[in-house]
This record gives sequence, structure tokens and C-alpha cells, in this order.
Amino acid sequence: MNAALYLPWLAAAPFGGALLLAFMGNSRRRCAAWLAGAVTLATCALVAALAPAVFAGEILRWSVDWVPALGLSFGFRVDGLAWMFALLISVIGALIVLYAAYYLHQGDPPARFFMFLLLFMGAMQGVVLASNLILLVVFWELTSLTSFLLIGYWAHRADAREGARMALAVTGAGGLCLLAGALLLGHITGSTELDVILKSGDLIRAHPMYVPALVLVLLGCFTKSAQFPFHFWLPHAMAAPTPVSAYLHSATMVKAGVFLLARLYPALGNSEPWFWIVSLTGLATLLLGAWVALFKHDLKGLLAYSTISHLGLITLLMGLDEPLAVVAAVFHILNHATFKASLFMAAGIIDHETGSRDMRKLNGLLKFMPLTGVLAMVAAGAMAGVPLLNGFLSKEMFFAETVAKEGHALMQWLLPIGAGLAAMLSVAYSMRFVHDVFFNGQPVGLTKTPHEPPRFMLVPVAALVVVCIVVGVAPQLTIAPLLAVGAQGALYGGFAGTLPDYTLAVWHGLNLPLAMSALALVGGLVLYFGLQRAVNLHLFDHTPATPKRGGRDLFNGSLARGVALAMRATTGLQSGSLQSYLLLLVLFALAAGCLPWLGHDSQVANTARTVVAQPAVSLAFVLVWALAIIATLATVVLHARRFTALLLLGAVGLTVSLAFVYFSAPDLALTQILVEIATLILMLLGLRWLPAKSAPSVTDSRARRWRDALVAGSAGLGVAALAWGVLELPFDSISPYYLETTKLLGGGANAVNVIIVDYRGFDTMGEITVMGIAALIVHALLVQWLPRAAGAPLPGAGAGHPLMLALTSRLLLPLAVMISIYLFLRGHNLPGGGFIAGLVLAIALIMQFVANGYAFAGARSATDYHGWIGAGLLIAGATGIASWWFAAPFLTSTYDYPLWPLVGAVPLASASLFDLGVFLTVVGATMVMLLALSTPRASGAMMEAAR
Amino acid sequence: MSWPHWIVMPIILPLISGAVLLLAARRAPALAARFALAATALLLAISIGLLARADGGSISVYLLGNWQAPFGIALALDRLTALMLVLTATVAMAALIYGCGGDDRRGAHFHALFQFQLMGLNGAFLTADLFNLFVFFEVLLISSYGLLLHGAGAARLRAATHYVSFNLAGSALFLIAVALLYGLTGTLSMADLAVRLSQLPADRTLLAHSAALLLLVVFFVKAALLPLYFWLPATYGAASAPVAALFAIMTKVGIYAVLRVTTLMFGAGAGSLTAVASPWLPALALATIALGAIGVLAAQHLRAQIGCLIVASAGTLLLAVGLARPDTVAAGLVYMVNSTLAAAGLFLLADRIGYARAGAGDALRAAAFDATRTAQAVLFFALAVAAAGVPPLAGFIGKAMLLKAAGTTAWALWVISIVLAGSLLLMVSFARSGSVLFWRPAGASPGAPPGGAQRLVAHHRAHGAALLALCGLLVMCSVYAGPLSRYTAATAQQLFEPRAYIAAVLGARPVAAAIDVRREMREAAKPGDAAK
Amino acid sequence: MMNFLIATGLGTLTAGGIWLMLRARTFDVIIGLTLLGYAVNLFIFFMGRLRVGAAPIMVDGVAPSLANYADPLPQALVLTAIVIGFAMTAVLLVIALRSHADCGSDHVDGADVPAPTAAAPRSRDTP
Repeated sequence: MNAALYLPWLAAAPFGGALLLAFMGNSRRRCAAWLAGAVTLATCALVAALAPAVFAGEILRWSVDWVPALGLSFGFRVDGLAWMFALLISVIGALIVLYAAYYLHQGDPPARFFMFLLLFMGAMQGVVLASNLILLVVFWELTSLTSFLLIGYWAHRADAREGARMALAVTGAGGLCLLAGALLLGHITGSTELDVILKSGDLIRAHPMYVPALVLVLLGCFTKSAQFPFHFWLPHAMAAPTPVSAYLHSATMVKAGVFLLARLYPALGNSEPWFWIVSLTGLATLLLGAWVALFKHDLKGLLAYSTISHLGLITLLMGLDEPLAVVAAVFHILNHATFKASLFMAAGIIDHETGSRDMRKLNGLLKFMPLTGVLAMVAAGAMAGVPLLNGFLSKEMFFAETVAKEGHALMQWLLPIGAGLAAMLSVAYSMRFVHDVFFNGQPVGLTKTPHEPPRFMLVPVAALVVVCIVVGVAPQLTIAPLLAVGAQGALYGGFAGTLPDYTLAVWHGLNLPLAMSALALVGGLVLYFGLQRAVNLHLFDHTPATPKRGGRDLFNGSLARGVALAMRATTGLQSGSLQSYLLLLVLFALAAGCLPWLGHDSQVANTARTVVAQPAVSLAFVLVWALAIIATLATVVLHARRFTALLLLGAVGLTVSLAFVYFSAPDLALTQILVEIATLILMLLGLRWLPAKSAPSVTDSRARRWRDALVAGSAGLGVAALAWGVLELPFDSISPYYLETTKLLGGGANAVNVIIVDYRGFDTMGEITVMGIAALIVHALLVQWLPRAAGAPLPGAGAGHPLMLALTSRLLLPLAVMISIYLFLRGHNLPGGGFIAGLVLAIALIMQFVANGYAFAGARSATDYHGWIGAGLLIAGATGIASWWFAAPFLTSTYDYPLWPLVGAVPLASASLFDLGVFLTVVGATMVMLLALSTPRASGAMMEAAR
Repeated sequence: MSWPHWIVMPIILPLISGAVLLLAARRAPALAARFALAATALLLAISIGLLARADGGSISVYLLGNWQAPFGIALALDRLTALMLVLTATVAMAALIYGCGGDDRRGAHFHALFQFQLMGLNGAFLTADLFNLFVFFEVLLISSYGLLLHGAGAARLRAATHYVSFNLAGSALFLIAVALLYGLTGTLSMADLAVRLSQLPADRTLLAHSAALLLLVVFFVKAALLPLYFWLPATYGAASAPVAALFAIMTKVGIYAVLRVTTLMFGAGAGSLTAVASPWLPALALATIALGAIGVLAAQHLRAQIGCLIVASAGTLLLAVGLARPDTVAAGLVYMVNSTLAAAGLFLLADRIGYARAGAGDALRAAAFDATRTAQAVLFFALAVAAAGVPPLAGFIGKAMLLKAAGTTAWALWVISIVLAGSLLLMVSFARSGSVLFWRPAGASPGAPPGGAQRLVAHHRAHGAALLALCGLLVMCSVYAGPLSRYTAATAQQLFEPRAYIAAVLGARPVAAAIDVRREMREAAKPGDAAK
Repeated sequence: MMNFLIATGLGTLTAGGIWLMLRARTFDVIIGLTLLGYAVNLFIFFMGRLRVGAAPIMVDGVAPSLANYADPLPQALVLTAIVIGFAMTAVLLVIALRSHADCGSDHVDGADVPAPTAAAPRSRDTP
């Protein structure tokens, strides 16, 4: 069967395992471990199954479409490099699971741990297998998220939470840069498929956007692989359980960065910018890490910085931009993974069995845990680059490359010296790891007496150490083919291409690199023991020659400052002051209205204007107009005295309805008057629970009033200008259609009424819905509300009702009903209609209450007016739906002229039925509002009584 | 979906069920809840059916009262409308399920108001008439006032005072803008407006330009654009959970309206009004994103954080609309679906957390949790990932598509840097919130929360169901991001080809049958006239 | 001339309404919004231009055209606007007096010294 078909399974397996673990309780620890182990072994098997094809030099591909619009396919692509990483991830993953099964403490929920671990493993596999750059970014961010969970696994510890957040912030930010870079590369090459990108290196390097793309991608790589100056998150990630550190910092998380360097080398490498940026970053990281590592007392701290340093070494090799250097980089990736994983696990064992990781306490452990000691020492030797161990070989190649690199005068010196120095330091800290922990006197102040760990905890360590030795002794027989395919992938993306010739051998004869190795070994030993003698390393509580405030303080400081700043900005903007919000709205609208006129001479518009006839100004009009202006200004000036203001407001409303009358809109005039009355009653009722005067407010200074006056004035000017501008223009509209068809098709002479119940009946339906909802809200707000201070007594409420008023109002009620029916019926042909009729009735009813007191009227008209609203809406809706039986659209009306006794021929359009709905809703809504407002409790009681 | 009247159903159904609930609710609350759920489910089904119809690519028009546009009011169903309908019904369904977990009993008329709110939303999405759009805006606004006040309390009253006053001012502006357009063109149908604006005499262009901008300002108030969004976080923070979740769709109404009018009326064909907002809208949108993200970073309560998140995503959407290219709009719509679902889910979760941490509520500080901690942590992780727009959930895909599309515009550098920086801020903030809420250890487990553990357990089911549904949908949107993006691409294509819409609306003819009815009635009327 | 007077009237109403809308007391805001409502309704109405003595009620024998009748459409729109405005005023009024009762102040921000709402909204913590 085609090996490519294994790919989806390989990618899916860890996630599947995680899913199973999610549903497994944290109680059964062994089960969780076994399940995780099974999954990791399965992935190992799948990786192995790919081997033949890969070593045959094929590129395995499997892919399905995901988001074509984004050029994002969900696919996997395995060449030598990807396979090599997949191998590291799954094999070391398996060993870690075995190790963790014994490492976890009783308190730690195992299922959760292994679930996170598998999730991370899956994300990592995704990164190395992805065949599409954007898909790679997806998995890349997924590694950030899952590592966040892993590092924060011991969530009760503050340092764990902080470390997790820091790692997420730094690597996540890098991931976003990487996304930008990926999109840019996609823009350059027209595709984000690796197959395309890896082939179009020349195109990319020639493109003007090459450097930005390069920088963005490198930001992703450097943040992930903890390169200077982004290295600070890594040591704090050590708060994670040691198996996590061993996994993240040997074979996976940090390696993702260098993986991407190698992955995109064919596309981005081989250029000046690449050389300078990558190699210098690598060099800096290499030295810094090595130097700091030497002064750490925490075992894991030392290992963390040595990891940083070794990643710097790999980055530097990639940066050298020479085929051989790339080979060396790939080789060192493998070696570092093996010895660093084993070292971390050894450190974990020591921590586990002694309860401490502090090298000032841990001394002379060799006699307590000889096996662990030996394994750790071998691994440390590999890290130091001792001959016959794998670290030695890649370090030799590294020296050779630093020496061989040509062309840049400065670098020719800088590189070898830096390399030698770093090697010396790495020997020194490796030596410290060995000497300080396993020799150098007795342990001090340990909580428990150290002893060997359970056998199986040592197995993974031993396995890796064996690899170190075997590879170190007989590289040609063991690692060579793997290295070959890996290098092939890194150099040519798996496509055809000849590798540079190199020989993997322990002995290359006497040459400069060998000399450098020897020098490094000796120098390192001298340095370490010298330092111990001269200035006992245990006494340092801070690494010399490094700033007191590290990246962490910088990060936290800037974050805290950022939050503080953000809070100030936010509270400043979202000040919670309605006045400023509204002012902004007015100003924004003002700006929007004026924007088009800026730069335009408004005369331009006027010149082309044909003057249109306008009605002559009559005295009546001028009077109305003057009254309006005066009343308005008076309202504004006297607004603080609210009762007065209300009456003035009424006056303004009156002038408005007069204007409607004057300009031939009788329906509007009627409606306006009635609404005016209703509003006034409403406000008078409401005013009883509000202060009679507007008290001055601190948020309402004199200055503010003048500023507002300015703003409001200009807004008024704007509206006036717009209105005038339009009024001066000749008019053409769709309205003639209504005039022509209102009688024939609408069945009514009153075009306005026909429009609101027929042509635009849908508007009216929405309108009555609004009315009904308003009533609901008013009721809901007032029904259970018991005003603290019972409001001022109602006019006429309570005891003595003026008899006349009472009697007349009772006599008037039937009349009002008649009028409202009349208005309703004639509405279709003359001013009137459901809405007006409804208001008349409602007002008449409310007069009853005012005149006769609520007890009296309530007793006589105990109606649940909510029912009216609901019924009204239902009737309106039903009338609309009825037309479906005529196979006509919603709200289609029809009409007839039945002969009525006395009244004569009355137009009865089905629209009138709709109008009935309007009528009911309006009466119901108005009554609910006014009753609720007049006596909250009474209305509530009344509603109950009605039920 | 061949029956012609399906199109009007998304408006009629909530109206009828709202009215029924109004009559029935206080008599049989339990029954009312079931009825409301059923009605909403039906609405969802219908909306999906309409989506299927719209995906055919044709634009279906429905002439209300059988009056031909522009004289009557027409409804038009295109891809965008259908998408909005389905999104609304989905969010509503989740919110309602959650609401039936007890919130609906906390005040009068919850279910009726909820249905009327849906009526308003759907009407706004469906109508092809500018004034009718105003009417439906008012319907959805006044229902939202009612829902916001649901359960009263000083905080809500304060928020409502701001929200209502602000929106009343906005409505006034809306009317002025519509009236201006009518005064200049003499029509109200958006299709007809598009035609008439494109052939506007020179002496009217400036006035029309002002009108257009004023109209946009109104929509920006709804869509929460800088500097008009400051009321939003407090308002949404004060609303009860299901209401806040439903409000997640409210900003989208404004964005829908902006998108509709800028493509239809002020689009490529609109002569002097073309790209009326283009120069400054992207700038303001970018600023909105930045300030929204900053607000997310600053928030001290989860609800406030989500409010700011909504602002940030509104900014992203307005950016997509403001760049006014088919590909940016397509990207924006993908992002809209995800950000809306995520925001709604987060609002519900914030409330859930309030239940689980008696006393501490949604404040971003450590507090003792009840047994549901882990489940909520998982939900929070998923929703936060979706909301922040980081992989693997599809919020990321929308953003990536937007970046890709914007990459070729003059704004590329700004868009890429600000959108990515925003994502980073969101990621950091939510990581902080999550670690504070779920990781930082606190005292012993809380005492029985108000209402008693018993009631709480009873509600777990409804709450859990709603949250799981939303998370499931988010995952689906990510898995099927391909089809989704294809649909939005087609939607954008349709929007930027307004001729089809115009032709469909103005070309629709009254149904024959009904006209016959009228004629026959006229015949019948003769004797009546004689009798006069 | 007529047009000019109309414009000035509208301008005055608008300005007055906006100024009151920007005040600190809920009741003033309500009055302001009501004034603004008048202005807006008139604005819509006048967008159909000014006609005297030509109510759009069909009379037999008079040709149905804009020459003989005022434009009915804006009138219909205004009717809708008036009703909606009434409903909104009622709601805002009730909110105002409830807020005055519950917050102990008729300031639009519930208190004369607005507390910041951004970082910590005044939302009840637990349901």
C-alpha cells in the first residue's frame, strides 16, 4: 500500500489519543500512561513505515482542500528533513511518556498531563509534516497554545502561570509575524504550498519584498528557538514538570524554530541578509547562553541556558550559509536532541529523588545513585564534545565550518574565536554539571536521602545515552544515512541535488578543528576548576557581566505599564458620561454633513438652479412661525422649571400641528394634536416622581453650556441649510402613482391613509409593534415598582372629584366612543383611521380615570389591555396572512362598498380590518402606558383583577 | 422552498409568536418557554431553507401588499441577507436555550420581547426599502431596550438611559438622512434610489453626498465605530446573559446596513457618490480595532472584556467593508460568522462563571469555583481561541483572508500590523483572564450560590447545551471554512454587482391573481357607487 | 422667502432640541429629544415641498397629480415617525423615573459624578 496514505494517520494519532484521554478520568493513572504510550509507539511505527520510501529519496504527499480562498490546503509532505524530525518527535516522545509515567507525583492528574503532552506532540508533528506554509503556521500556533497548557500544568504555582503566559506571548507573537511572512511569501510566489516555495528560491530572493519576508519569518524562528534577544522565555518555561522540559527543549518546541530555518533554507537562504542576520544572532545566542549557563545553580537552569547556547550554535551554522554548514547543523540537531533529552531526564531523576535541583546543595551524589551518575556524565560528555561521543563529531564539523567560512574579513576572525570560546564555556558548564553534582563533597541540607530511581525511569535515559555513544564511535555505520536524507531535505527541500562531500569519522587526522577541540577541552577544564578555586561559583547569586534586569523584568514591566496605560485610555474614552457621548455623536454627524462641502464652493450648486415657485408668505403663517420660534426658545431658556417647560413644549407641538394644517396635511394635524395631548398627560404623570426643577449639576458648567450652545447652533444651521437647499430644488417623486391609483386600487380617497394601511402597510405593522412593545416595557418597569415616595397627588385623584367634571366626562365617554368609531370608519376617505380613532378613545378613557378616580373607573373597566395589544397585532398579522388564500402576497388588500343602514355606502377595504388591528393596539398600548404611569400599583392590581 | 411566502416568514413568524406569547406568557410560563423555543427552531429551519435558495445565486423579491416597487415595500433575499438571517437565528437559538435556564423568569415579557427583537432584526436584513429599514431598526431597538432592562436593577437602568438616549438621537439622524434622500430623488426603494442617485443632476450631488454620509453615521452608531462605540461595553456588560449574547448580532446589523448601502446605493455605479466613505472609513476602523483591543487588555470584568472584544471585531469588519473590495468583504463575512458566535458564547460563559463562582461573578480575580471548573475552563479556552482569531479555529482564517486581501491595497502595512497586533493583545489578555479565572488558586469552594444549588443543577443542562452548541458550531465553521469562504466570496461578488439586485427589485411584478381580485371588486363596487 | 422661514424654523427647533439633549438631567434630555422629534417630523414633511390648500384627499373631477395635491408620501412617513416617537418618549420617560428612583438621582449618568464604566462596568456580579 502507498506509504503516503499513512500520513493523515500519523498526524491524527496523537490528537485521537488526546481525545480518548479527555474522556478518561484522572483517577486511573496507569491506564492514562499505557494509552499515551500506545499512541506514541503507534506513531513510531507509522514513522518507521515511511522509512523505505523516504530513504529511496521520494517525497511523500497527501492533501485535501481546506480553504482555497486562502490558498490553504490541509496536506502533509514528507521528505528527509520532515521524516528526521518526525522520528525525533515520536521516538523521544515515547521515551518521555515512559519516563513521565514514573515521574508524575500522586497529586498530578495524569490523564490531563498525557492529554496535553499528546496534543503538543500532534501539533509538533503537524509543524514538521505540513505541506502548506499557512497550515504550518496553524500548527505552529497550536504548539504555542499547547505548550502554554503544558508549562502551566502545575497551575497552583505562580512561576508556572507566569512562565506559561510569557512563553505564549513571545512565541505567539513570533507566530503572528510568521503568518505575515507566510502570506508575503505566498504573495511573491503565488502559492503557499511548500513544493512551490522551496522551488522558487531565486524568484523570492530577487523580489523587492524579500527582506521583509525574510525578517518576518526569522522573527518566528528566533522567538520559537529562543534566540537572543527573545531567549528569556525559555528558562522560565522550566517551571513545567521535567518530562515537559525534556521534551520541549530537546527535540520539539525550540527545535521547531531551527526546523523552519532548515525547511525554508532553499527558499530564503543563500543571500547576504540571511548570512548576516542569522549568523550574528546565532553567535550572540551561542556565547550568551554558554556564559550564563556556567553561573546557574539550578540544574534545570544550567541545562536551559546550555539549550539556548546550543540552539545558537545550530542557528549560527545555518547562518554560515554553506552546504557543509547546513549538514553540520542537521547533525547537531540530532545530537543535541539525544544528549539534552537524557540530561534533562537525569536532572529530573535527581530532583525527584533528592527533592532539590540546587547544585549548592547537591554534591557527591555518585555514591547514592551511581547508575544515574554514569549516564548523566556520559551525556554531559557528549554535550561538552568529548571524543567518541556524538557531540564531538558535530562540534568538529562546526569548528571546521567556522574556520572555512571566507569572504568577510571581520567574520573570519570573529567566528573561530567565538566558536572556540563557546566550546570552552560549554566544556566548563558540562564539567560543573558533572563535578558539582556527583563529586565535590557531601550533599547539604537535602530533605530526603538520595537513592536510585525505579528501573524504568532510567531506561529512557540509558537508551539515549547508548545512542550518543554508538553514534559517537561508529557514525558512518549508524547515523550517516539519516543525516544524508535530512541534509538533502534541508539543502534542496527533498528535490534532486547533490550533497557536499563530507566524511563522518572520529579521526580526520591532525587539523585545526581537532586542535580547537583539544584547546576547548583543556581550556574548559582549566576555566571551571580555576573559577571554583579562585571565586567559588557557589557564591555568585547573579551572572557577572549581564544586566541585573533580564528580559523577564522587561517583559513584565512593559506588560504592567501597558495594562495601566490601557486602563487609563479606556476609562478616559469610555468615561460613562452620556453628555460627552452625545456631544461626540453630534460633532461626528456635523463633520459628516459638512465634509462634502469642504473645498466645494456651494455656489457651484446654486448657479445651475432653476428657481421653483413657492407659496407666498401669509400673515397667518408668519404668526405660527413666530410662535414656534418663541415657544422653542422659551422652552430652552426655562427648561429648568419643568412644569412651565412642559406647557411651552405643548405650545411648540401646537404650532407644529398648525403647520401641518397650513401645509395641507389634515391627518398629520389631527394625529399631532392627539399625540401631543397623550404625551402631555404622560409627562405630567411622570413628572410626579421627578424633581420639579432641574438642579444644576457639576457636569453642566456654564462653559459647557456655551460650548454646547455653539455645537447645537451649528447643528441647527446645518439642518436649516440642508432643508433650504432641498426646498429650493424642483421636485419629482413617485407620489403621482399614489394619487392616481388610491381610489381605483386602494379603494380610498385619502391617499395618506391608503398609503399607511395599504401601499406601505408593512411600515404601519412595524409601527404598531413598536407601540405595543413600548407599552410592554413601560408596564414591565412599573408594575412591580413601589415608588419610595408616593408621587404628588394626581389632578382629581383621591377623594373629592369636581362633580361637574365627573358627570360630563361620564356623559362624554359614549360620545367619544361614537366619534372614535366614526373617525375609524371614514379614515379611508377622509382624515382619520385606526390610529387617530384609537388615540381618541384612549384619551377619553384616561379622562375617566382623571375625573372619577382610579378606584371607580378601574372597577368599571377592569380590562387587561395587554390583551388588546396582542389581539391587535394578531389581527393585523392575520389580515396580512389572509391574502395568502387569494394566492396574493402578504398584506394584499381588497375592498367593497357594502350599503350600511343610515350611514350609506361605506368603503370597507380589507385594509380596514388591518386598521382595526392598528386601532386595538393603539388603544391597548396607550392605556397600558397611561395606567401604569398614573398608579403603578393600581395598574398592577388591575391587571391581576382582569385575570 | 418554492412557496413564495417563505421570504416574509422570518418577519411574520416572530411577530405572530410574539403576540401569542404576549397573550399566553403570564398564564403558562413553562408552556411559553417551550413555544418560544419551537418558534425559534422553526425560524432557524426556515432561514436555512432560504439560505439554500439564495445560494442558487438568484435574488428573490417579495412585493408586500402586491404593490410594485418602488411604490410599495419590497423584500429582497440575496446571499448576504440569507447569511445574516441564518446567523441571527443561530445565535438567537443558543441565547434562548440558555435563557430558558432561568433568566427568562427574571422579569415580564422576556419571550415576547425576544421574538419581537428577532422580527426587527430579520426585517432589517430583508427589506429593500430605506424607510422600512428605519421602521425595523426601531422595532429591533425598542425590543432591545426592553431586553436590556429585563430584570431591571440600577446598573441596567443607568445603561439603558445611555443606550436609549443615544439611539434616539441616532434615529433622528436616520430620519433626516432618509428624508433628504427622498427630497432629492423622490423615492425610498433602495434599488430605485441606486438608479436615481446614479443619474443625479449636478446641482444635487453635494446635498446627496451629505445625506449619504449622515446615513452612514447612523449605521456606524449601530456598528460601533470610533468615536461612537463608547456606550457599548457598559451596556452589553449590564445586560443579562442571553440578552448580551443576542446583542452580539446587533453590531452586525449596522455593519450589514453599511455594507448594503455602500455597495448598492453608493457603489461603483453611483456616479459622484461612488466610494463615499472610502478615504476615512478604513482609518477609523483601524483605530477602532486598536482601541477595542486596548480595552480588552484593560478590562477588569470578563463581560467588559467581551464588550471591548465586540468593538474590536466590529472594527475588523468595518475595515473589511471600508476597503471596499470583493475579497476583503468575503474575508470579513467569514470573520463575522465566527466572531459573532464566539462573542455570544463568551457572554453566556461569563454568566455561567458567575454562577460557578458565587460572590466573585465575572470579575477577573481568583475565586473559589464549584465542580464545573474544568468544563468551563475547556469552553473558555476554545471560545477565547476563536475570539482572538488564533489558529486553529476559523476566526484565524477570516483574519488571514483579510490580511491576504488587504495585502494588495494601499493600506497593506497598516492593516497587517494593526490587525496582527490586535490579535496578539487579545491572545495575551485572554491568556491572562484564563489563568486568573481558572488557574490561580483561591479559598475553599463557595457556599451555595443564591437560589440554591438545587436550582443551579437544574439549569446546568440548558446552559451547557447552549454553550456546547456554540462551540460545536465554531468547530464546524473551522472544518468547513472552505465552503463557508466560497459562499462569502459568492456573496461579495453579488454585492459588487448591484445591477442584479436593482433589476430584481424593480423588475418584480405584482401577482396576477391578486390584481384580478381587485378588478372584480371594482366591478362589484359599481352598484355601491350607484347607490351613492 | 417661505423656504427661508421654514429653514430657520427647522434650524431653531433642531438647535434647541440638541442643546437640551446635551444637558445633565434626564427630563431635560427627554424634552430635548421631543423638540428634536418635532424638527425631524417637520423636516420629513417639508421634503415633499410646501403646498397650501391641497390636502391629498382625492376629489372627483380634479386630476390626480402633484400639481393639484400635496405629496402624500412624506405625510404617511411622518405619521409613522410621530407614533414611533411617542412610543420612544414614553419608554425613555419611564426609564428616567425608575432610574431616578433606583439611583437616587435624575442625572443621566445615575450620579452627578460619573464613575468610569469602561474597565469595571456597573453590572451585577452574580445572577
